[in-house]
Amino acid sequence: MHDFTVHHPQSLQETLILLDRFGDAAQLIAGGTALMNFMKQSLLLPEHIINLQRVQGLQHIQSTKDEVRIGAMVKHREIEKSNLIQNEVPILASTYRRVATIRIRNMATIGGGLAHADPAQDPPSTLVALNARIRIASISGERTISIMDLFQNYYENSLMPGEMITEVIIPSMHSDTKSTYLKFLPRTADDYATVSVSLIATLNENIVRDVRIGLGAVAPTPIRATIAEETLKGHAISDELIQQASNSVAQQVDPLDDFRGSADYKRDMAIVFTKRALQQVLQGPS
Amino acid sequence: MISYNVIGQPIVRSDGFEKVTGRAQYTGDLKLPGMLWGKVLRSPFAHARIIRVDTSRAVGLPGVHAVLTGDDTRGVRYGRRLFDVPPLAEERVLFAGERVAAVAAESMEIAQNAIDLIEVEYDPLPAIADPLESMKGDAFLLHPDVNDYVGLPKKLEKVSNVFVTNTWGKGELDTGFAQADHILERTYTTPLVHQAYLEPHSCVVFIDEDQRIQIWAANKAPFALRQQLAAAIGVDEDRIRLNPTYIGGDFGGKGSPMDVPLVYFLALHSKRPVRMVMDYVEEFTAANPRHPSVTTVRSGVLNDGTLTAWEARIIFNSGAYGGFKPGVNLGGARDVAGPYKIPHTFVEAIQVYTNSVPGGHMRGPGEPQGIFAGESHLDEIARILGIDPLEFRLKNLVGEGDVTATGSLYRDVKAKETLEAASMAARYGSPLAMNVGRGMAMGARAPGGGETHVGVIFQKDGTVVARTPILDQGTGTYTTVNQVVAEELGLSSDKVQIIPWNTDAVSFDTGIGGSRGTRVASQAAYAAAQNAKQELLRAASEIRGWDPSNLVLKDNKVYKGNTEDYIDFDFVVQNCGFDIQGTSGIEDREQLTVTAFCAQIAEVAVDVETGQIKLLRFTSAHDVGQVLNPIGHQGQINGGVVQGIGYALMEELEVEDGRVSNVTFGDYKIPTMADIPELRTVLVQSKNGVGPYNIKGIGENTNTAVAAAIANAVEDAIGVRVYSLPITAEKVLAALRESNV
Ligand SMILES: Cc1cc2nc3c(=O)[nH]c(=O)nc-3n(C[C@H](O)[C@H](O)[C@H](O)COP(=O)(O)OP(=O)(O)OC[C@H]3O[C@@H](n4cnc5c(N)ncnc54)[C@H](O)[C@@H]3O)c2cc1C
Repeated sequence: MHDFTVHHPQSLQETLILLDRFGDAAQLIAGGTALMNFMKQSLLLPEHIINLQRVQGLQHIQSTKDEVRIGAMVKHREIEKSNLIQNEVPILASTYRRVATIRIRNMATIGGGLAHADPAQDPPSTLVALNARIRIASISGERTISIMDLFQNYYENSLMPGEMITEVIIPSMHSDTKSTYLKFLPRTADDYATVSVSLIATLNENIVRDVRIGLGAVAPTPIRATIAEETLKGHAISDELIQQASNSVAQQVDPLDDFRGSADYKRDMAIVFTKRALQQVLQGPS
Repeated sequence: MISYNVIGQPIVRSDGFEKVTGRAQYTGDLKLPGMLWGKVLRSPFAHARIIRVDTSRAVGLPGVHAVLTGDDTRGVRYGRRLFDVPPLAEERVLFAGERVAAVAAESMEIAQNAIDLIEVEYDPLPAIADPLESMKGDAFLLHPDVNDYVGLPKKLEKVSNVFVTNTWGKGELDTGFAQADHILERTYTTPLVHQAYLEPHSCVVFIDEDQRIQIWAANKAPFALRQQLAAAIGVDEDRIRLNPTYIGGDFGGKGSPMDVPLVYFLALHSKRPVRMVMDYVEEFTAANPRHPSVTTVRSGVLNDGTLTAWEARIIFNSGAYGGFKPGVNLGGARDVAGPYKIPHTFVEAIQVYTNSVPGGHMRGPGEPQGIFAGESHLDEIARILGIDPLEFRLKNLVGEGDVTATGSLYRDVKAKETLEAASMAARYGSPLAMNVGRGMAMGARAPGGGETHVGVIFQKDGTVVARTPILDQGTGTYTTVNQVVAEELGLSSDKVQIIPWNTDAVSFDTGIGGSRGTRVASQAAYAAAQNAKQELLRAASEIRGWDPSNLVLKDNKVYKGNTEDYIDFDFVVQNCGFDIQGTSGIEDREQLTVTAFCAQIAEVAVDVETGQIKLLRFTSAHDVGQVLNPIGHQGQINGGVVQGIGYALMEELEVEDGRVSNVTFGDYKIPTMADIPELRTVLVQSKNGVGPYNIKGIGENTNTAVAAAIANAVEDAIGVRVYSLPITAEKVLAALRESNV
């Protein structure tokens, strides 16, 4: 590997100053699980590495009446194990649980994972379905964006030079909301998804009151299956409705051929797994 | 059965402690004063003419001690049997990943920087990736000079990309097909797969002050490597010394010289020790993976299920070179016809050059490819005839006195017993849920022969050192030697320490491979221990003045006959005044008349909406002799099955534009523990075996039939067959859809 200098800031302010000073020549390191691979393959050659491990104020999981806030440096494993998350946003705990292996989850962070912006990752589609917001800081101030605006393309996020993710804000789920995360793994248990579906729904008797469907690994960014959502909303649940909604995702996905399946296969599997998620949540035991 | 104290016991492996504590030294750990890092520049093209290589900027980089191109190694060709591999490409590169230039520099970073400074101008040429294309008469020749290569078994009448053909068979095919009520012809393909050992190829070469070429290499056949290198570079074998080192996994992949000849030239030019360690991208793109194959089987069968004829042609994609194979061809291909009594047979195995990564071998050279085709085919015939695959096999399997399809005759044949044992353990025939199926496949393999030596030296502290020229590549040969020596000297296993020899110490050792390790090493260790024991008794008799012909070694004591009169063993060692030791040299290359059968049964559930296969359980039955170490034995079985599951369901090096594209373990997936179903094992005890303990081999047999068993289970579950490995979910779904139209 090439030579670089490592910095260990203690505060957010210090971090932002370093980021500002080194600009493109610097990379933040959180868990390092993605960054180290990129560096070993010479895809990134930062001269400065800014280590976030010791920065105060990025490690919290908190809840208020209507939202849950997770600091950027919270590890996947901590989210998966957190009682607070398990109670208030169960789908988030179950999604993080499906990431890679315990070894990876013990290192990888929520902030680093989102900045990595690989659409085949697990958390993005769930956070998209949850309408999460991303808090971003730079030396000149702060802004909060919808998670949909974070992802630009394969491995491309919308952060400007000098900016970093500090927090992820998740609106609380209603107690009558049901959800599921399905990850299709036709090869091995530790693989990335061939397709993944995050589903959050609220029912009123037999009527779909609200539904949000996030799809992963089927487009350059995680996407919302908006046509399917509209198809379902306000309607009575039936097999036909579920099939119709599921079929519609084929129009919205834009997958790539890769080692996890051809584009055609992924399109078909997006339909199958959307259907399975809907069956489980809308028709399963309540 | 004879009862033993150490043999047959679950002894902890001799190399285990050093390995799990990180103390074991592998080639990449070695540090020599002044040692340089070697790095290679590889071709991005599958086929190209090299117009110009400009190394001037690399040569000028501080810290660089040698920069080599094909001009510096011109004319040198090496290999295991066939010498067709150049250390560096000369006029043409023949695969993407081929070595074009190399540097030796003071650090890995400098070496990499120097590589980046080398400019190569290529003229890209059309490339042939498909062996079927390459076989055509109008295909361009990858090796116009193939007839000049050392090691080519038979000169080609007309030079072609097909460079070797082997055939097996008996009877008259026409007669067999004329008798048949049904004739079935099918084609099967298997992919390029990597052995996925943990340690990548690595070596250190150092030319010392006496001009001796000192080598440490991740190579399991050091004496063969010595011969191969000596012949390739034109030096006496005596000048070369292979030094012992741990080998971090092999599975067939660690038998070729790989980068050793090139690193020799780097050491020669830089006058320094040079270390080269492939990274895993290089491993995936340019090592020696298992050959892809295309096999066509045509069979004839009577309505009652009697096989009358079997014709098979296996085309192996050799890749750009043939030098990394254990033979010039892959003999295991003949197993496409299996242990069945088919009267009229013809099997042909062909090696074809193409512009892709050269093949080596992996856990049974040619067998997994052949058995996938043959055992898939058998199942399909059985189903066409409406005969249960189990019954069909039992009808055609060899029994005592029967000759196999390709003409082998064995004694103490346990083929049917092994299959029946698997069937019982798998509860074959018991009811299955919807879309769940069971499938079986069989393999057979006798342990290979060879030569080795062992030395046994008594130490003054009452322990024993055993010396072996074998380098344990992970299969447990050190433990085998340990157990045999401990057994024969009446010691506990922890009193025997294994210290490997370098290649100066003895005349030859065949090396690990072909399931020969246990067969050859156990005989040599036995003989050396017996010789050492005689020496000990002689020493005891001298000290005490006892009659040497009537002494007994028991419980660390030498007894005078059956009396209570004894002398402590360590007292003898300490006071006899000379070193008590025994050595042995064993040469056992006999073609064995006993073999070992394996029958495996997979149980799978198929998700018909996605095509995903879930393995529910996997049963292996093995016909065994004396099991020397049940932990090691079971480890070979489980490991072989797991590797077979990868081959069956997911592993494939994908090649795009002649280049391997899945070059990380993120993209090239091998099974994880979570993907492994319940594994069941049954051992069928056989009295016969080889050597002093009647052993059989287990290393390769465990792996070769797995994929066919799974393919057959899939057909049993959902009525469709996949003819190409790996059987991915996507292929299963496509086959299901095709069968529904
Ligand atoms: C073997 C393996 C298997 C994997 N399998 C899966 C899987 O199945 N599912 C899945 O979802 N993911 C998987 N991943 C990806 C994993 O989720 C990411 O590597 C991880 O989330 C990255 O987090 P990190 O904290 O390690 O980030 P790092 O590697 O530290 O950083 C990643 C990038 O984000 C930047 N960065 C870090 N923190 C911030 C921040 N606060 N603000 C802005 N930029 C920041 C860094 O500069 C870097 O460019 C796998 C990874 C590996 C190595």
